[in-house]
Amino acid sequence: MDPQEFDQKLADKIKEEKIAPKPRWHFLLKDYVVWASGALALLIGAAAISVMVYLLKYNGWEVREEMHKSVLEFFLLTLPYFWIIFLGIFVFILYYNLKHTKKGYRYPVWFIAISGVLASIILGGIFFLFGLGQRIDNVLGQNAPLYEIVINRQLAFWFNPEDGRLAGVIASDITDGYFYIIDPTGEVWQILAPQSAGDPRFSDFFQAGEPVNLIGELIGENKFRADIIRLLVPGRGFFDRPNIRDSRNHCFDDVCLPPLPPSIHRPPRNMMPADFSYPMRQR
Amino acid sequence: MLDLTSAQNLSDAELVRLSLSNQNDFLYLVDRYKGKLMNYIRRLTNVNDDDAEDILQDVFIKVYLNLNDFNVDLKFSSWIYRITHNQVISSHRKLKARPEGYAVNIEDQSALSLAADIDIEAGTDKEIVKQNIFKVLDGLDPKYRDILILKFLEEKNYQEISDIIRKPPGTVASTINKAKSEFRKELARQNIIL
Repeated sequence: MDPQEFDQKLADKIKEEKIAPKPRWHFLLKDYVVWASGALALLIGAAAISVMVYLLKYNGWEVREEMHKSVLEFFLLTLPYFWIIFLGIFVFILYYNLKHTKKGYRYPVWFIAISGVLASIILGGIFFLFGLGQRIDNVLGQNAPLYEIVINRQLAFWFNPEDGRLAGVIASDITDGYFYIIDPTGEVWQILAPQSAGDPRFSDFFQAGEPVNLIGELIGENKFRADIIRLLVPGRGFFDRPNIRDSRNHCFDDVCLPPLPPSIHRPPRNMMPADFSYPMRQR
Repeated sequence: MLDLTSAQNLSDAELVRLSLSNQNDFLYLVDRYKGKLMNYIRRLTNVNDDDAEDILQDVFIKVYLNLNDFNVDLKFSSWIYRITHNQVISSHRKLKARPEGYAVNIEDQSALSLAADIDIEAGTDKEIVKQNIFKVLDGLDPKYRDILILKFLEEKNYQEISDIIRKPPGTVASTINKAKSEFRKELARQNIIL
């Protein structure tokens, strides 16, 4: 290689092809896009965490023994798999973006991955405290397709009458020891209420329009004996859907139910009792 | 435009800044690095002189195009080596040639340093030692060969290698250890005595 000749050829090529340095904003924009995508992935991942905390906190731990489930079995049955996968995707996107920042390559994979997960958990915890998990679950419950099958499998877990679990929205007062609920498919059920329904706590708890879980026993076609009535927390939005809330054809035998009252957007986060099942679990 | 004496006293970063306002000043950066980079290209590839020169020209065009992307937190030499490393890989994809090293311009000290670091006693004939080292390097997986070239022939430290190949310093250290062990195995496999 002749050094002079090389320099000359290079200078000629730059001049002939009018090559010029790319502007600085071009590189800054690229950096901003990488950071902004990472930040967005972090926010979405944190939102997923807040929903997971909401789902796990109110999945029914306090009545696990009444359902004769071991801790592990109950945990695996009610684990929010959809949100875990969703979180995994966004933690990966966050990792990918951090790795592709200007200095991202300097940090080991485990460091970036753990930082991404920790940041999502901390921010997700804050989001949960501000009620974001509940809001997201309500909105998805009202609108998302396959919500009860994919997004919130607790609803499917709780709607299993043969196994002693029923979910629905209260549709009447108690008359002669019975009341009615409308299940997630829009079917009406006649429920034999617990004998101790005179407890004053029950009247606070028991209102038409309130989504609940029941633990008890199937006693006939669309007839269920409730031993425990539990306020349904995640999945409340699902019971605002028109096929449940607005149906004018909710009849059981010759009893037709009045229209449901407007949806109750409970529980605001500070009004949720520590133990919100009735009667209280025997200790 | 700068004169040669002033340019020699300037840092790489200052020359980058000046090159952005005056294209002719870029040639001082070219002069500073073309020899080193040509050697590096020849050590990484088996291309002929003309192809190596073409790769080098492409490297400087890329450097010039991306001058505004140079980050002063990084050493300019690491940045330009990174561009060269990537250009060699992409040129080989284009030429569909297998990257194999050439025994060119290897310093005696570099060869001895590599042999010593790998705990191999080198013979007295430096030319034979150098040729044998390149034979062994050519037999290695490219990721091991490239990192040994950077460490022992280009004499880069861990941080610089990390910046060139865009891997964490810890990964660089472990890859160098693994590469040294692979070097010893390859030496035995080819039945070579340095």
